[in-house]
Amino acid sequence: MTAHTALKESNVTPLLKPGALATAAPELSGLLRVLTCGSVDDGKSTLIGRLLWDATDLFDDQRATLERGRRVDGGNPDFSLLMDGLVAEREQGITIDIAWRYFDTATRRLVVIDSPGHEQYTRNMASGASHADVAIMLIDARHGIKTQTRRHAAILDLVGLKRVILAVNKMDLVDWSESRFRQIEHEFRTLMWRFGFREAVAIPVAAVSGDNVAAKSKHMPWYTGPSLLQHLEEIPSRGTEPVGAFRMPVQTVLRDTRADFRGLAGTISSGTIRVGDTVLDPVSRRTAKVQRIATMDRDYEEAIQGQAVAIQLDTDLDVSRGSVLAAPEAAPVVARTLEARFVWLSEVPFDKKGSYLVRTATDLVPVTNIEIKSLLDLDSLAVHPATACKVNDIAIANLALGRATAIDRFAEAQETGSFMLVDAISGATIAGGTVTAASPDIQQQDNVFLLTRAMLARGLCSDVANTPEGEAEFRRRSNEVALLLRSAGVAVEVESLPDYVI
Amino acid sequence: MTAHFSHLDLLESESIHIFREAAAQFRKPVLLYSIGKDSTVLLHLARKAFWPGKLPFPILHVNTTWKFKEMIAFRDKWVKEFGLELIEMTNHDAIAKGVNPYDYAPSIYTDIMKTVPLKAGLDKYGFDGAFGGARRDEEASRAKERVFSFRAEGHRWDPRRQRPEMWRLLNGRLGAGETARIFPLSNWTERDIWRYILREKLEVVPLYMAKERPTIERNGQILMYDDDRFPLKPGEKPVMRSVRFRTLGCWPLTAGVESTATTLEEVVAETLGARVSERSGRLIDHDQVGAMEKKKQEGYF
Repeated sequence: MTAHTALKESNVTPLLKPGALATAAPELSGLLRVLTCGSVDDGKSTLIGRLLWDATDLFDDQRATLERGRRVDGGNPDFSLLMDGLVAEREQGITIDIAWRYFDTATRRLVVIDSPGHEQYTRNMASGASHADVAIMLIDARHGIKTQTRRHAAILDLVGLKRVILAVNKMDLVDWSESRFRQIEHEFRTLMWRFGFREAVAIPVAAVSGDNVAAKSKHMPWYTGPSLLQHLEEIPSRGTEPVGAFRMPVQTVLRDTRADFRGLAGTISSGTIRVGDTVLDPVSRRTAKVQRIATMDRDYEEAIQGQAVAIQLDTDLDVSRGSVLAAPEAAPVVARTLEARFVWLSEVPFDKKGSYLVRTATDLVPVTNIEIKSLLDLDSLAVHPATACKVNDIAIANLALGRATAIDRFAEAQETGSFMLVDAISGATIAGGTVTAASPDIQQQDNVFLLTRAMLARGLCSDVANTPEGEAEFRRRSNEVALLLRSAGVAVEVESLPDYVI
Repeated sequence: MTAHFSHLDLLESESIHIFREAAAQFRKPVLLYSIGKDSTVLLHLARKAFWPGKLPFPILHVNTTWKFKEMIAFRDKWVKEFGLELIEMTNHDAIAKGVNPYDYAPSIYTDIMKTVPLKAGLDKYGFDGAFGGARRDEEASRAKERVFSFRAEGHRWDPRRQRPEMWRLLNGRLGAGETARIFPLSNWTERDIWRYILREKLEVVPLYMAKERPTIERNGQILMYDDDRFPLKPGEKPVMRSVRFRTLGCWPLTAGVESTATTLEEVVAETLGARVSERSGRLIDHDQVGAMEKKKQEGYF
């Protein structure tokens, strides 16, 4: 890492004065992505606007925009204007998509991901939450925990979020009542334990007046916890907690013929790697030692989750894009069958005859069969048997893959345990999925035609060289042919390399 | 063990990841290079992503011929230094017809001189993915932009047809007639760009640094008198002022700010303490309500 000054984490959050950042360190010591969820009625836009207004480096013209939105009755500036975006939305007066906002406190970058509280919220919240480190769930103190809060928690848990904050808003309207807050807090704790969250805290706030938003409230002396901003500044920054076993999905191979360099380029998706460590290519089941961890700036002795590097091995494993370098003692499954949960994102419902692809971290694999087993009811958190699936549904399904690919269980490694379901024809992103179980076994199917390598090599791929690039091209052509046949209704599978057979 | 990442380290890694992903998924990508500070950072990150190899794609510059002279000199220097493959596109028909930034409304001028040749360039060479330096913090409608942003035939951007993105996964598979714009700087802010330029000691166009320059003040904005194509209104006379630019568009459409920041360090200090967002100096964005969104739907970056 380049040298920089780490700012001391402070418990007391200074309220930033305009221009204060001019004297701050050139680099912020951390970054946190915050998802906001809740309905417009709960005052979400107001809460975020208030946070920006009080605690950060808003520009004068942004402040002026909010001032222009000040209501005629002389109320507060219209904070919601900060989070507003598309023209269509302004006309409808609702948020229809995810908006990203960036602001700096004295120590770190806060990225606010705003997801809508109205229609389509399941898919938008799921996609927004998948990018976040922490979620602020907003509720109205008068109404308490509602079904919606449970739905939100279920979605956040599904996409792997580990930290949640319950902002109990409009405390002014319940006379800053401690007993009311404690009651909600208790309900919240009871609700949360059933999910996989690492941390869940409740904070009493009043967004309009700014109580416990950036500064501690004077109206609630009984509350001794941090303000919302203080809490956000205390959460460990993105990238500071390497978790899990080493994984690096290979994006591309970088070469320097002059220096005899062949670097497997990728972003370390979990764990840590050191020079001299042994890594495994799960598909070929071959191992090699890390010789160099290289970047344009310098070589590293050690690299961790989140770093984009190029790894040179001591022996050529013949791996290319789509492989996942892994710690040999805790390797991913080389899977042909997945059990997964996915959020259906597309307006087009599931089609049993459709042609789908699974896009993992860096691999793209044809799907030979999807069997929807059940749908998750977000209100009751129960599952109901089902065979169909449409937009905003959360489905539990089995997927049979056209060839084996290295994949993890999502609970063990999020980045190599998640995937997108892609429509092979339109290219559209259909669903976002998390792997709950992966198996090397091939799901039984009747009358599947096998496209053998020999058959493909004789004609279609006769001009393909016997190199890693050639192999990639071979696979690409094979998959395209299989797709065409499948869209014509022929059940077909592509034979894998002999090494790939488990 | 706790490794320490600054927010710039995280942003850099993310951008490199996006570059590598796009280069692998698109058949024929191109990098749109506009010479400005964002392009400087974009190009630097691209070099890091593919080091020690060369950039696996050319760079495309849309030259309106109304760019500051210093910008073109700067561009040519970089192209030579890094052995880049440069493609230049200009709407020569429009220039022959006398289209200029004075007599045409900013939105029309931008469409004719920037959007039209940009689309022509993408079509002519059959590029299926184009890297751009757009950031989500620039403008309200950009705040919802995806990292991979898809364009239907004719390069039209439909906000309702954008693909959801989840986790770090990027889906670049194209449907018939589709192309994509790729934004590796999506999560950077203006301040990050400057902090990074300072940290990486990148050279930028000297126009970003304050210097005595001939200027005209009009409607409260300071415009630079770069050459004699600038039609003066009665009573207007170029005045020497110490100015610099926060953003570089076509010179008659880009307003400068009075400043004494002559070094990169001073510019960064000034930017970190800035009171006004950068696009307030770009005249094209104020043209009409939802201006940027409309330009995007028509194919502007």
